Amino acid sequence: MSLSNLKGRVAWVFDEADYDIDRIIGVKNIKITDVQELARLAMGDVAPGFAATVGKGDLLVGAPNFGYGHPHYPAMKAMRHLGIAGVVAESFSPGFFRGEMAMGFPLVTCPGILAAARRGAAIEVDWAAGCVRLADSNTTLPFEPLGAAERGMLEAGGLNPYLKARMARMKGVTA
Amino acid sequence: MTMTEKILARASGRTSVRPGDEIEAKPDVVISYDFPGYTDVFFKEAREEFGVDKVADPKRFVLFIDHMIPAAAPKEEELHQNTRAWGAKQGVPVHERKGIGHQVSAELGYATPGAFIVHFDGHVSQLGAFGAYAFGARKGVLEAYVSETIALRVPATIKVVLTGTLQPGVMARDVFHHIVRVMGPASCAFKAVELSGPVIDAMSVEGRQTVCGQAMFLGATTMLIAPDAKTTDWLKGRQTLDVPAVFPDADAVYERVATIDLSDLAPIVVIPPSPANTRDLADHLGLEVHTGYLGSCASGRLEDLRAAADVLRGRQVKPGFQLHVVPTSQAIMAQAAREGLIETLVEAGAFVSSPTCDYCYGRIATMADGQRAVSTGTLNTPGRMGSVDSEIYICNAAVVAASAIEGCIADPRPYLATAGGAA
Repeated sequence: MSLSNLKGRVAWVFDEADYDIDRIIGVKNIKITDVQELARLAMGDVAPGFAATVGKGDLLVGAPNFGYGHPHYPAMKAMRHLGIAGVVAESFSPGFFRGEMAMGFPLVTCPGILAAARRGAAIEVDWAAGCVRLADSNTTLPFEPLGAAERGMLEAGGLNPYLKARMARMKGVTA
Repeated sequence: MTMTEKILARASGRTSVRPGDEIEAKPDVVISYDFPGYTDVFFKEAREEFGVDKVADPKRFVLFIDHMIPAAAPKEEELHQNTRAWGAKQGVPVHERKGIGHQVSAELGYATPGAFIVHFDGHVSQLGAFGAYAFGARKGVLEAYVSETIALRVPATIKVVLTGTLQPGVMARDVFHHIVRVMGPASCAFKAVELSGPVIDAMSVEGRQTVCGQAMFLGATTMLIAPDAKTTDWLKGRQTLDVPAVFPDADAVYERVATIDLSDLAPIVVIPPSPANTRDLADHLGLEVHTGYLGSCASGRLEDLRAAADVLRGRQVKPGFQLHVVPTSQAIMAQAAREGLIETLVEAGAFVSSPTCDYCYGRIATMADGQRAVSTGTLNTPGRMGSVDSEIYICNAAVVAASAIEGCIADPRPYLATAGGAA
C-alpha cells in the first residue's frame, strides 16, 4: 500500500517552539468529545475565524518540539474535522507524535519548514520522494523518513486498522 | 544492557534487545484513569471493533478515578459509573478517592523494580523512581487492552548523572527543571533516561518520583533509577509484582552521558508558556501572584507538605491570596494529619482539599483574566488553570508557601532558616 501525497495550503504556521496544542481548543475544553463542538472552538483563542479559511487537505506547520506539554486528542480531532490533513514541523514532541500517528494523522518532521512556509502557500508532502515542496517559493525540503511501523500505521489509517490487520495475520499464522 | 534494555528484553521474551529493535512486549501492568475520549473509547473500541468482551488476565489491569472527583456534573458521574461497571464486569480493580493514580499505583505495589508498565498518560514515568520501565503509550494502550502485547521500538538510553549536594531550600522540583534548562526540552526525545549520582543517592523516594514523573518535559519516553535500600524500604510490606529487579550492566551502552553538578543550584521558577522555560527564582522575586497550588502527581507529597508547613508555621497567608493545598493521596493526607502538617497549613490560612487531579487543569480553583499563580502542578500552559489570560509560574512547594505569605513570588529560604522545631 502506498500513501497518497498530501497537497493543500498552509492553513496556519505555529511559530512558537514547544507549542502545547491544547491551546488550540483551550484547556478548559479538553473533556469535550463532540467533534463539531470542538471544531467550532478551534483556534478561538488564537485566530477567531480560522475555520472559514481552511480548505480540505490543508496542512499545519509547526516549530521545534511541536506538541510539547500534555497533547490531548481534541485539538487535532477538531483540526481533522475542519479538513486539516497533517502537520509538517521542525520536530515533534514524542507524546504528541505517538498519539496522533496512532490516529492515522500524518506528522512530518521537516527541518527548515518554519523559515520556508508562509500561511496560505501551496504545500505538498511527497512520500515517495521524501520531501516537502513549497511551489510558490520553489522550495524543496527533505523530511525525516518514517519507521516501518509508523508508515504501516499511516497506510492502514491508524492504530486500530493496523492492529486489526496485524492480529488477523497472527491468527492466520497460528490457525 | 541498560535497565531499559533488560526490562524490555524480558517483557518481549528475548535474551537481549538493542536500541532501535522493534519488539512486542507484554506489560506487567496496564494502568489507566478514566477520562472522556480515553478509557470510554478504549472500552467501546475493544468491544465493538476488536470483539474483546473481556480482557485477558484482568489482574494485569488497574483503573483509577482521580480526575473529575468529586463529580461536578451528571455527565462526569456517568463516566465514573461506566468505569466502575466495566471494572466490575472485567474483574479489573477500580480505585477511586484514594488519590492520584500515579502515586496510588506506587502505594499499591505496582511500582515494582524491573516491571514493564504502560498507561496512556506519560506521568506514569514516575514509577521509574522504583526501577520500573513505565511509559505513556497514548492511544497505544488500546493495544494492551485487545492483545497481550504492545509494539514498540527499544529506545536508546541517555545516562544523566547528578553530582554535588543540594543546598537547603532546593527541592526535587528544582532539580528536574534545572535538568531541562541544562539539557533542553527536547534533548531526550524518544529516549529513555537513566538517572544516577550522589544527588539521586541522597534524594528521598518522594523526590525521585517527582523527578521521574516529568520525564516527558525532556522529551523522554521515561526515566528510571536503579533500586537501592531506600526503594526496598519504601516497598516493604506492599504487594509488589513478581518480576526481577534490574540494574545497569557495568558495560551498558549509553547514547550519551550527561553529568550535571547541582552544588550551586538555587530554587528555580518555570515561567509561562511551557515547562521549557526554567529561570532563576531570584530573577522573578516580587512579581505579584494571586493564587497558589500545592499538589499534583508531580508534587504534593509529604516532603512538599512538610516544607510548606515549615514556611507557614506561625505565619499567615496574605489576606486575599488563595492557597490551595491538595495532598497527592489519601495515605499522604492521613500521614500529614498525624504529623500535624494539616493543622499548621489550615491555621496559616490554606484551603486544604482531598486528593484529586482537578486543581492541576483548572477544573476547580479556576483563575480569571489577569490572575497569576505559583504552582507545583505539572504544566504552565496558558489556560491550564483557567483563563488563557491568566499565568502560571511553576516552582517548588516551599516557594508556593512563601509566595502565599507575601502575595508575590518569594524566596522560601529565609522562612525555612527561621522555621521552628517539629510540627
